[in-house]
Amino acid sequence: MPARRLALGVWLLAVVICVGVIARTHLRTDMTAFLPRSASAAQQVLTEQVSNGAASHLILLGIEGVPPQILVAVSKSMAARLRPDAAFVDVSNGDDASFAGVRDFVWRNRYVLSAGTTADRFTVAGLHAALANDLELLGSDVGMLIKQTLPNDPTGELLTLLNQLAAAKGPRSRDGAWLSAGGSRALLLVHTRAPGFDIDAQQYALARIGDAFDGARAAVPGAKAARLLETGPGVFAVRTRDTTKRDATRLSLLATAAAASLLAFAYRSPRVLLLGLLPVASGALAAVAAVSLGFGFVHGITLGFGVTLIGESVDYAIYLFTQTARGDPAGTTLVRIWPTLRLGALTSIVGFSAMLFSGFVGFAQLGLFSIVGLIAAAAVTRFALPHLMPRGFFAAGAGVLARPLLAVIKCRRRLRPFIALIALIGAVALALHRGGFWDKDLSHLSPIPAADQAIDRTLRHDLGVPDLRYFAVFRTADEQQALAESEALAVTLQTLVVQRRLGGFDVPSQILPSDRTQRVRRMVLPDADILRTRFNDARVDLPFRPGTFDPFFRDVAAAKTAPLLTRASLPPALALQLDSMLVHHGDGWDVIAPLRDVADPGGVAAAIAAAQLPGVAFVDLDRESDRLLHTFQNEATLLASIGSLAILVLLFVGLKSPARVIVVAAPLAASVIVTAALLTMDGGALSIFMVVGFLLIVAVGSNYCLFFERRDHDVATQSRSVASIVLANLCTVSAYGLMSLSGIPVLHDIGITVAIGTFLTLFFAAVVTTRDVAAQPAADRVGHRAQSPREERDRLPLP
Amino acid sequence: MISGRDIRLSRVVVRLAAVLYAVAAAGATSVAAQPAAQTADWGLPQLMQDLAQVKAASAQFTERKTVHMLSAPLVTSGTLNYIAPDRMQKITVSPKLERFVLDGDQVTIAGGPDHQVHTFSLADYPQIGGLVEGIRATLAGDLAALDRFYVVQLSGDPSNWQLLLQPKDNDLTRFVKWIRIVGSQDRILDVETEDTDGDHSDMSIVEDAGDAR
Repeated sequence: MPARRLALGVWLLAVVICVGVIARTHLRTDMTAFLPRSASAAQQVLTEQVSNGAASHLILLGIEGVPPQILVAVSKSMAARLRPDAAFVDVSNGDDASFAGVRDFVWRNRYVLSAGTTADRFTVAGLHAALANDLELLGSDVGMLIKQTLPNDPTGELLTLLNQLAAAKGPRSRDGAWLSAGGSRALLLVHTRAPGFDIDAQQYALARIGDAFDGARAAVPGAKAARLLETGPGVFAVRTRDTTKRDATRLSLLATAAAASLLAFAYRSPRVLLLGLLPVASGALAAVAAVSLGFGFVHGITLGFGVTLIGESVDYAIYLFTQTARGDPAGTTLVRIWPTLRLGALTSIVGFSAMLFSGFVGFAQLGLFSIVGLIAAAAVTRFALPHLMPRGFFAAGAGVLARPLLAVIKCRRRLRPFIALIALIGAVALALHRGGFWDKDLSHLSPIPAADQAIDRTLRHDLGVPDLRYFAVFRTADEQQALAESEALAVTLQTLVVQRRLGGFDVPSQILPSDRTQRVRRMVLPDADILRTRFNDARVDLPFRPGTFDPFFRDVAAAKTAPLLTRASLPPALALQLDSMLVHHGDGWDVIAPLRDVADPGGVAAAIAAAQLPGVAFVDLDRESDRLLHTFQNEATLLASIGSLAILVLLFVGLKSPARVIVVAAPLAASVIVTAALLTMDGGALSIFMVVGFLLIVAVGSNYCLFFERRDHDVATQSRSVASIVLANLCTVSAYGLMSLSGIPVLHDIGITVAIGTFLTLFFAAVVTTRDVAAQPAADRVGHRAQSPREERDRLPLP
Repeated sequence: MISGRDIRLSRVVVRLAAVLYAVAAAGATSVAAQPAAQTADWGLPQLMQDLAQVKAASAQFTERKTVHMLSAPLVTSGTLNYIAPDRMQKITVSPKLERFVLDGDQVTIAGGPDHQVHTFSLADYPQIGGLVEGIRATLAGDLAALDRFYVVQLSGDPSNWQLLLQPKDNDLTRFVKWIRIVGSQDRILDVETEDTDGDHSDMSIVEDAGDAR
């Protein structure tokens, strides 16, 4: 049979090509890839910070449940176990080793790092002033502070630098380990080598932390009852993946089991059961390949969501299998139902295609994914599936499933006012809904459970890790320019600190001054002989013993000839801090300077603007993320509206009659309205995921309506048609219903929306859309055209 | 970075502790002049109990610091004030005005060479907080609490006693070897501090007459 060979050959070839494309596909999971192309630089920078920045390497640990002395011992034992581990760049628990690297670096490089290194400081007068100050300090109550460092550092650069770097408030330590305010928790701060989005590496790091904790708990007497708290971007990423995986695996197994038993009951053929997956699987393959070719990469979210969007293609096979009458070849059935199936698939394609034009790359990818996926699935159903079906197959068990709905259909005329009433009540409920329809709280979209978010807040508070909200950001062409401009920015910000409008700030140049500044600072350091002469002149009337400051002369001489500092010279903790503020980004360098304790955001923004630093913007992270969510929601609504309009237009083209369009569209509109009313019944708001759910209701439900709208030429055909719709719906409702049991917002929201909405559509369409069986056998098309407009109007549920 | 600050403040606290002991002892010796001091079983518990009676005290001090890098000792002088239970002030008058105040949990340093007022909370620095709690415990006559922070040795008799405090905590032993408080009858004579690096401070105290008890 050449047609059969051709169809299967083309299908196989297409599968091979798709697999080939997918093998080369670049999968991205970073959120920047999902953002609108029009997103502001600030939004892009900040999103990248969240997923790739230094903060994403951070894991905060808390140990509790035992007395403070034991907490301290466990903390020390844990730190000792974690430090040699290559998975960690830096492990701090408040002991000396936690700071040794940074302190040593600052000490060795104090002259190039300190803004105090000026020519004036090293004149006779400048040195005399410094020494007189030192003498005063020695006699004062803080004299002990400087005694150890004075012989090396009479000009006090270390104190200046430490004050600058220690501006942020740290946790309290006890016996060399950080403890929370009440002493009930020991605290550790760990920087992983891998960024937060590298979930496998994060999972490994967490396992190592768990081992270290178990080891420490076993080694320290009395520590058996100790508990470990973990938080941080990597922890969240791992937990989210774990719960998503667990939920998705558990629920999809359940859903598959439920759907498979339904289908097995209806089909009574394992081969047909498996064949039913062919359209959706082929569709997914084609869709991934198309997105990869179209965008150059596939986003992880596209992959997960996309399969959900083309889930209706499972129904295609169901329609074909279930509507095949005993003894009929599948090909015949297909020819009969193809126009309806095609219109149904087109409806969904048109509905989803609005997403193609979205500014959000993620939406656009989903649009392309669903369009290509559904076309491929429909093509496989149309051209490949009939050739693979066992000869003489018919769905023996489907008839039973259809019976309840057939009973409803029988008394549909009496039920119509009732449906109209339900829709009306739904509309009124929506109209009376108080407050916004939109859930504006981003944390509700977060898959992280509230308890974990609370632990995160607690540990961050304990550790004094500030929840940074305000930033000064700018972008430059190269690294040195970025450092030089952040030196200029620091001057402006320091003025604001002095005016007490700003608590403090961090800029990359504090950690790594620009090459130019480093050279200037090295240059102003006098040569050894000159320095010694000036110094001896300066201390002539002061009681310092000769020889006391020999270390100072050595250190200055060394600093003068030391190589320039680069990022590679930094200790790991400072390198991470630098990377969080200075980010290489495509063709430029982004500087992100965190601002602490901003008393008056408007004033600070105005002051930064007034300083006329090129390209420097003041960013309020909360406002930016709100704005982003707002744009996202607006666009989702707009796309859904455009999609709905496009579907209506398509239905007009396909059905060629306004009345028929109305009976197809009315149940869809009614079920979306009633679903939305049910979801917001307790005053709740709609999440962005629910809008996706509405789109799916229309995509899946439109197929039901179109099949109900068909005029079947005998009762048996109508029964099979109803059975196929019921079977498809039962599979959808059980799969999405199970999904709604998940605690993960995206799964729960889509699950509950689609389960409710498609079930309502089934019921509404059965009552509103079902047509009478034709009096005598007639071709569908002819039958439709024979229908008088008046008769059509009689069937309308609403005036 | 944080520990840099901690170290600096630890040192402040060592000084602060010495000062507080000086004041506490000054008050205590006044009480010690009362008949209770004459009892045969005089010892550390009795001294502690007497210290707890002090409600307020003030004194003049002269402090002489020997710093190894200076060819001449540094001499400062001023006044000390203590008000029960937790307010303490050291005002240096010569050679330069400087104020060091502990009020409850708050430490304020004013008039230092950087001409700025520094205020910080003891709760942020547990090793400091522990020290001050130790001192408060001393003033309250709680010997057990004092024992947590120091090895305490009392020698002499009510007319000439010496209280030797050696820190137990590793953080403290890094900076201070010992603190010795010398008293005689109703006079506090001296508070000596020996730093770990061999530098030495010797504060002689003259109590003002007519303090509130």
